[in-house]
Amino acid sequence: MIRVPLVLRLAGLVLASTAFYTYVGQMVPQKEVFPPQEVVLLADMTTADMVRVGGEIMEGKGLCFTCHTVGKKGPLRFPDLEGIAVRASARIPGLSDVEYFAQSMYEPDLFVVSGFNPGMPVIPKPPIGLTDPEILCVIAHLQSLGGTPTVTMETKHRYNNSAVASGAKP
Amino acid sequence: MNGGATPSKKLLVLLAVVGAALALFAVVRVASFLTSAEYRAPIRGPEATEETTPRAEGLADERAAARKKALEKPYEEVEYRAFPKIGSRVAVWVVAQLHLLFAAFVLAVPLFAFIIEAIGYKTGDGRYDRLAHEFTKLLSVSFSLTATFGAFLTFLLIILYPKFTTYLVSVFSPTFLPYVLLFFGEAFFLYTYYYGWGKFHPLVHLGLGLGLNVVGTAIMFIANAWLTFMTSPAGVSEKGAVLSVWDAVHNYTWMPINVHRVIANVAFGGSVAAAYAAFKFLQAKTDEERAHYDWMGYIGNFVAIIAFLPLPFAGYWLAKEIYAYSQTLGLTMMGGAFSWLFIIQAVLIGNLFLAANYYLWLGMGRIEGVSSFQRFIKYLLIAITVCFMVWATPRSIIATVSEVRAMGGSSHPVLGFLGVMSAKNTAVNILILTTFMSFLLYRRTGKTATVSWARAGNAAQVLIFALAAGFVIFLGIYGYFVEATVRIGLSVPQVLSVLIAMVSITAIDVFLFRGAARTGEVRWGRIPAASQYVLIFIAVTFTWLMGLMGYVRSGLRQHWHVYGVVRDHSADAFTPTLGFATKVVSVTVLAFFLLIGFVFWLASLHDKKDWEPRTGTS
Repeated sequence: MIRVPLVLRLAGLVLASTAFYTYVGQMVPQKEVFPPQEVVLLADMTTADMVRVGGEIMEGKGLCFTCHTVGKKGPLRFPDLEGIAVRASARIPGLSDVEYFAQSMYEPDLFVVSGFNPGMPVIPKPPIGLTDPEILCVIAHLQSLGGTPTVTMETKHRYNNSAVASGAKP
Repeated sequence: MNGGATPSKKLLVLLAVVGAALALFAVVRVASFLTSAEYRAPIRGPEATEETTPRAEGLADERAAARKKALEKPYEEVEYRAFPKIGSRVAVWVVAQLHLLFAAFVLAVPLFAFIIEAIGYKTGDGRYDRLAHEFTKLLSVSFSLTATFGAFLTFLLIILYPKFTTYLVSVFSPTFLPYVLLFFGEAFFLYTYYYGWGKFHPLVHLGLGLGLNVVGTAIMFIANAWLTFMTSPAGVSEKGAVLSVWDAVHNYTWMPINVHRVIANVAFGGSVAAAYAAFKFLQAKTDEERAHYDWMGYIGNFVAIIAFLPLPFAGYWLAKEIYAYSQTLGLTMMGGAFSWLFIIQAVLIGNLFLAANYYLWLGMGRIEGVSSFQRFIKYLLIAITVCFMVWATPRSIIATVSEVRAMGGSSHPVLGFLGVMSAKNTAVNILILTTFMSFLLYRRTGKTATVSWARAGNAAQVLIFALAAGFVIFLGIYGYFVEATVRIGLSVPQVLSVLIAMVSITAIDVFLFRGAARTGEVRWGRIPAASQYVLIFIAVTFTWLMGLMGYVRSGLRQHWHVYGVVRDHSADAFTPTLGFATKVVSVTVLAFFLLIGFVFWLASLHDKKDWEPRTGTS
């Protein structure tokens, strides 16, 4: 019987163990994550366009679905967004849905939904860093989750205008 | 041909046909090569555009023009440079990881060498002193390799990422001089500690060991400030201007990384030292050598596993601080791009627990009177396997559209519940408790408690173990029925109950077995050779795990050099697939073992006879 030299046996063990872990690494889902694409926003976008673009921003640059879910139940770490348009207008007395959405992105710690910990980042600041028009598009998309979107590219709220917005329309 | 077999006619014909085909193929290849290389007249432009300048003069003109252009060009700071073939990211990744692996080893070995030497001094048992000395034999070459890879990494950063490196240097400029001075201190203590073995009073020598550990730890703390700042920056404005260097150092993840690395380094260093002992055991020619290296391997592995047990808790603290710094960053790690990495981590840690327990169970064979404990092994194995399976269960499963429809989502209707943190925290805590019980059984092998309260003591230990396990499982199940705010907080009592159980059971055990009757002696060296391969497997798995976790710690920043402050605009600003990342980790691990094999070989030269010239007999 041929006796394999010790060094070769050890090298074989190291190679086989490493190969096994490399194989495990190939078995899990493979996905490359690219930096978020900048979205070009046109001033004359319709509300329907804003809803669509807002959805894209939420999935990409906004990183919203890293934490939030839509239509998921059970033990959640962050509030589910299904039907959020209905809850938004009634959540804080005196705040319209647009104002509430804006507040939760510009000053997220001012109000934290009961049962959850604070943890929402300030959306216009890095690392997310959405612009004011991008946030308007996100608001449009949030309004579409259980409600009827009303915002336009001209909509003002207290964070993008010194005058306090009274509702959805400017 | 006399006596030879005559080839059949058919075979000759076949060979002729094959030969002719090969000859034809060769002729065609040669002909096509010659045709492609034949002389062709140059394609000349119209007469008026033809260059009439002699070649040498034209080249000189070109050089002069290029020089003039270079002289006129103002200095521009380059943001990035590309490393050939593999790219800048992979080059820095591999070199940084190799530097970290050797640095971890160089920091860890003095830590447990110092403890072992101190035990030897306290007990007067010379074996400990020799063992500590043998561990330090691996240090000097490893120290040189650490420094070399450190310098290589620095050059790579300056060359490939000059702008970002300049920024990092500007933030941490006050830390570099102390770092260099400490490095001198490290060299002084390390070489004096190693070469001064047996040359000083033991307390002086222990003082040198202590100095080595303090300086080494301080070096690591400074370097940790640089890298943790990149993940959780503090002390700078939103645009990156420095506000406070101390705040930049003392950022969210600095202290958790410091603690995590000290513990992980000891675990890793212990496993590599055990691998060295295994290598020497397998090479050993005499029973005496086998006994020595069996003992050395056992101590190395003991150090590794004892350090490994609290490591998940330190990891939990680190993750908690990452969440505290940025929930987005935390969720990217655990629920986003890197979530599947933790399934790979589960496989690695599950293997470590299985291998460590297997080694202990094999080790029981070297002690006489072991049979009474061996019946428990199957229950421990079942517990470890179940915990391993729970930990390796993913929350969401990759499935076809029809499978997703049948399951009602990407989570399996039953197994999906095992993929959440409540189940995983429970599994890891039970794994730790089970491994701890394996150690306890091993410790008791060959001994019988003689104290009057032995029965009560045993009962108390079993009760504490059962209570801790029951409490951990209860909290794990309870976590499914409460809100996130409550659920997140449940990990802390789980961890605390396991820690309290381990400390109190050990305390009882120490007194219970004080003056215990020996029912069997430890026969060092009487262990199957398979156990030594297990030690090497553990070292490979630890190294691979360090590579993987190093990747997630660094890769977590995704397209940021400094998270939220300095954006990565290079071609490598994307997060690669886990498959790619694991290949890079594997290459690094193989390179490390190639180099550490060299270190082992150099260390083993110490025991070789000196070369002597052959003497003639005539």
